[in-house]
Amino acid sequence: MEIIPAVDSPIQRKVYLWRIRSKMLRRSTKEFFLELLRHPTALIGGIIVLLYIFAAIFAPQITSHDPSVGDLHDRLLAPAWEAGGSWKFPLGTDDQGRDLLTRIIFGARISLLVGGLSVSISVLVGGTLGALAGYYRGKFDSIISRFADLLLAFPFLIFALGVMAFIGPGINNLIMALIFKGWVEFFRLVRGEMMSEKTQEYVEAAKVTGLGNFAIIVKEILPNIVQSVFVLGTLRVGEMIIMEASLSFLGLGIPPHIPAWGSMVAAGRDLLLFAWWDSTLPGIALMILVLSVNLLGEGLRDILDPRLKTIA
Amino acid sequence: MFSKKRFAISLVLLLGFVLSACGGATPTPSVQSNPTDVQATAPATEAPVSVEPQTIVVALAAAPQTLDPADHRDRTSETVIRDMFDGLVTRDNISGVHLELATDITWTDDTTLAITLREGVKFHDGSEMTADDVVFTFDRIIKENMIEYPEAHTSPRKGLIAPLVSIEKTGDYSVVMHFSAPFPTGMQMLVHQQILPKAYLESVGTEGFIAAPIGTGPFKFVSAQPGYTEIVMEKFADYYGGAPDLTPVGTACVDTAVFRVIPEASTRVAALLAGEVDIIQNVPAELVSTLEQVPGIQIKTTPGTSPIWMEMNVNQAPFDDVRVRQAFNYAIDKDLLVSAIYGGKAVVLPGALSPNNNFADQTLKPYAYDTVKALELLAEAGWKDSNADNMLDKNGANFSFTIDTEEKYRSISEAVANQLRAIGIDASVRIWDYAVVKPLLLNGERMAFLDAWGDSAFDPVGHMEAKWHGFLTGTSYGRGNFSGYNNPKVNELIIQGETTVDVAERHTIYDEAQQLIYADAPAIFLVLPDVVEAASARVLNWNPASDGRINLHDVCLEK
Amino acid sequence: MKAIKILERTLISIPIIFGVAIIVFLFMRLTPGDPVDIMMGGSGFVSAGEVEQLRSEFNLDKPLHIQLWLFLKGAVQGDLGYSYVQKVPVVDLIKDRLPATIELAVSALFFTLIIALPIGIMSAVWQNSLLDRLSMAGSFLGISMPGFWLGIILILFFSVRLHWLPVQGRINFDAHLDTRTGFFVLDSILTGNNQALISSLKHLILPGITLGAAAAAVVARVIRSSMLETLRSDYVVLARSKGVSERGVVLKHALRNALIPTVTVVGLQVGVLLGGNMIVETVFGWPGLGRMVVSAIFARDFPLVQGSVMVYAITFVMANLIVDILYTYLNPKITL
Repeated sequence: MEIIPAVDSPIQRKVYLWRIRSKMLRRSTKEFFLELLRHPTALIGGIIVLLYIFAAIFAPQITSHDPSVGDLHDRLLAPAWEAGGSWKFPLGTDDQGRDLLTRIIFGARISLLVGGLSVSISVLVGGTLGALAGYYRGKFDSIISRFADLLLAFPFLIFALGVMAFIGPGINNLIMALIFKGWVEFFRLVRGEMMSEKTQEYVEAAKVTGLGNFAIIVKEILPNIVQSVFVLGTLRVGEMIIMEASLSFLGLGIPPHIPAWGSMVAAGRDLLLFAWWDSTLPGIALMILVLSVNLLGEGLRDILDPRLKTIA
Repeated sequence: MFSKKRFAISLVLLLGFVLSACGGATPTPSVQSNPTDVQATAPATEAPVSVEPQTIVVALAAAPQTLDPADHRDRTSETVIRDMFDGLVTRDNISGVHLELATDITWTDDTTLAITLREGVKFHDGSEMTADDVVFTFDRIIKENMIEYPEAHTSPRKGLIAPLVSIEKTGDYSVVMHFSAPFPTGMQMLVHQQILPKAYLESVGTEGFIAAPIGTGPFKFVSAQPGYTEIVMEKFADYYGGAPDLTPVGTACVDTAVFRVIPEASTRVAALLAGEVDIIQNVPAELVSTLEQVPGIQIKTTPGTSPIWMEMNVNQAPFDDVRVRQAFNYAIDKDLLVSAIYGGKAVVLPGALSPNNNFADQTLKPYAYDTVKALELLAEAGWKDSNADNMLDKNGANFSFTIDTEEKYRSISEAVANQLRAIGIDASVRIWDYAVVKPLLLNGERMAFLDAWGDSAFDPVGHMEAKWHGFLTGTSYGRGNFSGYNNPKVNELIIQGETTVDVAERHTIYDEAQQLIYADAPAIFLVLPDVVEAASARVLNWNPASDGRINLHDVCLEK
Repeated sequence: MKAIKILERTLISIPIIFGVAIIVFLFMRLTPGDPVDIMMGGSGFVSAGEVEQLRSEFNLDKPLHIQLWLFLKGAVQGDLGYSYVQKVPVVDLIKDRLPATIELAVSALFFTLIIALPIGIMSAVWQNSLLDRLSMAGSFLGISMPGFWLGIILILFFSVRLHWLPVQGRINFDAHLDTRTGFFVLDSILTGNNQALISSLKHLILPGITLGAAAAAVVARVIRSSMLETLRSDYVVLARSKGVSERGVVLKHALRNALIPTVTVVGLQVGVLLGGNMIVETVFGWPGLGRMVVSAIFARDFPLVQGSVMVYAITFVMANLIVDILYTYLNPKITL
């Protein structure tokens, strides 16, 4: 830690303090990764997530069956370890004769895509709006804040259902439906942080050095907020993945031949009595992914902001 | 301070107690019911009556829409209604029509029907059924806006007896019906109308009637849950006995009947296995072989009356080309659908009519499963795989379309889409709520729709004019025509058949119509599933009916 | 003072509820699909005259803002319109289904507390023990598990395989419950019907666990961490040094302070409960509001969707309000 040199003017002092504070809060990326590697649960979570991403990207290469087309003759075969199963279809088949393992692997694409995209875009939209609202305040702020309050009054699932009914089925629409309500949280977070950061000294100092408003927001304040946004984002990815699965489960719009874990669980529901694998196994895949994401997120939180440890 | 921990522990103990009290018991159907206020009746019926009151529970796949016999077009509603309401005639388990509330029905000429009514038939409120009630019932159906609740509208069942112009009383127990034209399917259609009590309905109004319906059937209404998710009825002690042809004749065998709605098939089956219900409807075919091996469960099937097809929008590309439509008929392995999805409990549709229909053209054979021929026809129509991506395309665009359907046909829709994808067609499935998609279909806004359309009368009337006749707004013609098919010759034949009485002539007319439709292929003619129902072994005298009705009159429960 | 603040907060909630109503209304009206077509969907055919009549009966021929005004006016008076599909007043349908959903929510809350409280407390007291690690792992699992899947697994084991608990529904038919309030447990107690009581409680178990599990996971962690904080705080150390028993310390001091974030979190979970109950009701065939909303949305039954969503929103807003109010009583330092 630098010793504060004696300075003549209060302004110079402020500038120095600002420099110190910025440096303290920001870690270098390298340090960050090293800490991550030392954290066991986060590591496991991270590895599993990477595995899923890998499987999703290389799905066609690592599977030998077609995920959307099956042969009715192979209908509802049991997994390999059960009576009547074979290693041709390691996890069994669904009611259209499609290989379950293949569909589960391809299903990762949808879950990861939807989870990742919906959170990223929510962060972008909510964060931008929040930063602008928190910094400039005024009418813009009140209108959007009111709107956000309003949206908060809707339970997420109902809102998403309604939006899907309105804009029709499909993956893109599903993501839009999730973003429609998802941005609100990030908006509030960024706005709140922006409002409190704005009163800090280093902002004044930056102003004094002649930086324009926009530059201040982007270069000075946002980097300090990024961490908490990141942390909240990782929390939400798991939730979004579950939301997508829930919406698919309720029958929203992803065509049945496209593998999505939620709709696979729903389709298998009627067959629980004698073909339990259809409903159960995709759910396990889903759970493991969300678990890993949450572990990773928890680890990130530990490293970046121990303050948040008390909040689940 | 209030000890949260102790509170928690005691709750756990309480929970444990409750669970242990009921955990160990195997769920056997406890057949107790509250003593019903059935008056001590004259016994002497042929059906075995046991000492302890018996309740039979039936699980339906969907909820009835209403209990007003004149205000629905839905088989489930009719199933429940016909246990509480009788009609002039009824149908046995297959297709025979038998006298019920009428003792005689004769055509005095081509367009006049003379009916003699049974005497001594009581409604559930004790009043006697007379010609006034019959006249009232049919007036309420055929006249405009006779049903005043929730807002004035015409009975949706009017179309079923469209030629009926008027009905008049000719005596306390006789009426005469006048038709606008010969009505060859009259008897079959009268099965689907039940007699209502004029005095009662007029005094309480439709709204009051729905809340507490009164009919002449073997069971009388007790209560219903909102949305009709559960309906309770009890044996009517003064029942006149029922159709004399259909033995046993007498009051109902069981004392109480309950209809519960369990939409999910596996839950229905689970409930049957657990003894929570006695009879279930719509057993999924894949469960048949499993259930057949369970002791204490009986499964019965009977030929069905809900043929399934995938209609294609013939007014728009790509389905405006008959070669494409025929190709699709060749592309589907329908025998595989029957064996895989219906466990063999279905037959392949040869054409527009179910093969069990009295006027089915027996010379028609189903389109063969021939993917080579299908691809040839598609190629002729311009669809080839020009860029070797295993997808058929034309003018640079892939052959891509959506099969719209309802949830209950999801399995077969996916199978059809699957088989089409296997030959290079990008087919996907979209599930709709019927009421939402129907107007779009009639407007020609969709491309393909997979569904069933019943012909429970085993006659082309009631079916062909709805499905294969061109759509005429404001009439019943084409009301179910989702392909937009409109062949003037076929239209002409259909209308002719409606009023021709001579059987041989009708055969000729309908044969020609079926052959035309076969060649034009406005739909993929798929399958006709059997009616598959299951019951516990304790259920006696029970047989599923082809029209899907669950007739509880004669059904008994072993003691 | 407090009373005025409470009143203020309540009043602010009202515009929110109206805002919700307007958004729902607009959404439904702008969704493709002609309501009249939907209403007539089930029947054979209708004449043009009847179509027009229906249109004017339901005010569908008036301009959008008039329709909105009529809807709001009716809503304030308790008239939420007529369901297109079931042709009965929406309020009646909601009233019929609401007790089922409330019973389910109470059951879920019960399981949440019964799982979370002991686990949270014990994990904090015996920190880093096996129990602590297991329960933290378990709570992680709880928030990672999708509700619909948990429900299905529970059904598979406890109903299909073990036959211990029922597969679906609220009660067995042969319990013959004489429903008075619509709350089956209450009704069975009121009518002294033991069989009905046991049956309805049995039916509440699996859905309650499914719905309560995710919330339990969160609440357990919150209890644990806030108790950990207080257990280490100065005044607890002081209490211990004064000779207060360990049990006294835990129960009297730590727990009381842990209540604050617990109440917050439980209040927040109301949102989860409201959203989750749609899934759970669907999986378990529970005849409640959630399932009705889902099918109403699919069927484009506008008035029913509008009315139900309003009920949800109002519940949500009120729950948050109650939490805020409770908060001030628990911690005088926090003002509204």
